[in-house]
Amino acid sequence: MRRTTAIVLGALSFAVQSTGCVNAQETTSSPPIKIGMFAPLTGSAAFAAKVAYGASSVYKDINDHGGINGRKLELVLEDDACDPNKGIAAVKKLTAQDRVFLIHGGWCSNVVLAIKPEIERDNTLPYVVLGAASASISTPVTANIFQPVATTQAVANTMVDFALSRPDVKKVAIISHSDEWGKSHLQPAIDALKAHGLTPVETVYFERGSTDATSQTLKLRAAKPDAVLAVLYPAELAIYLRDAYKYGVRVPTIGTQGASIEDTERRIGIPDAVRDLYIFYPLSQTISSDQFKPWAEIFKKYYPAEPIDTITFIGVGGALAIADVIKRLGPDVTRERFLSEMNKLTNFDSGVQASTMSFSPLDHAGIKSGNMIHLVDGVPTIVSKLSTPKP
Amino acid sequence: MLAQLAISGIVVGSVYALVALGMTILFRATSIVNFGHGEFFMLGAFAIYVLKQGFGWSYPVAIAIAFGLLFLVGVLVERVLIRPLGSAPFLSFAMMTVAFSFLFKGLTRFFYGRDVSMLPPLLNGEPLDFGSVVLFPQDFLVIAGAGATMTIFFLFFEYTQVGKIVQAASQAPRGAALVGINVPAFHSAMWGVAALTGAVAALLIAPSTLVYPDMGGQMLVHAFAAMTLGGFGSLGGAVLGGLSLGIIENLMGGYVSSSLVEISAYLVIMLVLLVRPQGVFGEWRTSRV
Repeated sequence: MRRTTAIVLGALSFAVQSTGCVNAQETTSSPPIKIGMFAPLTGSAAFAAKVAYGASSVYKDINDHGGINGRKLELVLEDDACDPNKGIAAVKKLTAQDRVFLIHGGWCSNVVLAIKPEIERDNTLPYVVLGAASASISTPVTANIFQPVATTQAVANTMVDFALSRPDVKKVAIISHSDEWGKSHLQPAIDALKAHGLTPVETVYFERGSTDATSQTLKLRAAKPDAVLAVLYPAELAIYLRDAYKYGVRVPTIGTQGASIEDTERRIGIPDAVRDLYIFYPLSQTISSDQFKPWAEIFKKYYPAEPIDTITFIGVGGALAIADVIKRLGPDVTRERFLSEMNKLTNFDSGVQASTMSFSPLDHAGIKSGNMIHLVDGVPTIVSKLSTPKP
Repeated sequence: MLAQLAISGIVVGSVYALVALGMTILFRATSIVNFGHGEFFMLGAFAIYVLKQGFGWSYPVAIAIAFGLLFLVGVLVERVLIRPLGSAPFLSFAMMTVAFSFLFKGLTRFFYGRDVSMLPPLLNGEPLDFGSVVLFPQDFLVIAGAGATMTIFFLFFEYTQVGKIVQAASQAPRGAALVGINVPAFHSAMWGVAALTGAVAALLIAPSTLVYPDMGGQMLVHAFAAMTLGGFGSLGGAVLGGLSLGIIENLMGGYVSSSLVEISAYLVIMLVLLVRPQGVFGEWRTSRV
């Protein structure tokens, strides 16, 4: 049993322990700690609304167990629709109107990068990223911005290392979106390949909303790669894999954490098309495993109608880290102390994420690696090495 | 590679052509350019998806009801949102179509906004090899379905009396009314038919593109590019424009750069407007937008 299992159980009892410190007077007199959150609840990236709901379920569970040091958490959730303008408006509302203590939000990197100047201006406001992965968010370091999820740098490095885990893989091709999210994976992936003495044998772009990947797939096929890195969102990954299957590109495809392997299989509807698919997996266990059941139960308690997916839990590690730091502050909860404590967070094991989280004044990218997941006999399974494609 | 790019371009271009055809039919009948036509396509996909996947009905039943629903949606849009504008300025019609486009998209997001859904193909099966060309069975259905639909409309407008009456009612509505033609009813029916073509296009392509509320936006741009290339108001032009656009996109992606695939439609619109604004088959014509 992994060490994290114990920590999972510890975290689950976290709120219960807190309850023990509560007395009735504190509960009624202490004002709640307002946490602002923004995420794409509508629009093309609305599938990621469940990231917000996952983090929200943690806060709701803490409240149901008495809060933290006698104080409840009050969540204010805004929709950014993955639109930078709406993201800026959401942050302005959360800070000026709702006057939140901190913000835990942002799934779309383009939105987070757009609001970054706003956050930098108010450098006392703690901002913890919900799920956005662009490495540019936390690098270079901004004093009040923390990224408790695997950055695109970490994802790209893991994808490349995984692709090269099979010694005969020498030719790697890339298919990517050309937006900020795509670029933030692409360059680190090229750099990581370069560090291994390789350059991509082909790089093609496939834009969001596209309906056909024929030209891109044929170019990849002509390059005869040993593996393909797919920096694509879920819908486009499904379209690419379907076309790759159609045109006989039978090499491993390694995807980012933007997609879920279960959903991808369901969307394509052709089991053989996902046979050689591997996806970066940010969680410690598969979501159907016994070890993960407690987290699934917490989520289902508050969002019974929402289907559970990998990305449901991407924001949970950040929520647990925030709760842990607030708890450490005791009764004196100030932004200054929160920022200081976040910088001291070392090897924080949420039990949910694939690796521990650490921040320091010089490094606000908290997660450095992740797992890879693959369907073995139709069952999502965490794997450590790339397999040889079956004929 | 050339043959594969061209054939795949024809597959996806068939759908562009079908969507452009729906817009062209409406334009010919009412002189209105419908900026909400992408949402007819999207609603068609969702109607089939909900009936097939949600209610578990068979494809034939789901398709029949979805087509009927979309026809009704088109008729209702004309009756409730367009007809009351009467002889309003052309811009008012354009803004109304933009407004109901956002309305339909917003409503769909409200109900289905958090997921990208899968619609099973009508024809399942392994890819089929024809020398250097590979096609899914569904690809044949796309070409055949789009081809049959386009042929039916072409025959209707060119060789039937009702088709000619529709065109007459469009070109001289006052004269048509004077000889006893119920022009508003014709307009309603044409809105219904336009919405129906959107549903047909959705049925053909949605199993490949997946179903989500924003799927109509890109399709609208492609349909505009196809109409611009072929010539506004020309049925043959819309078809030729759609097919050409599909092929152009694939050739640009295959031989120039994959970055250019998505801007091909915009490049086509700009080039045609600069070089031959009326399009290949189009004629200068006064329109309401």
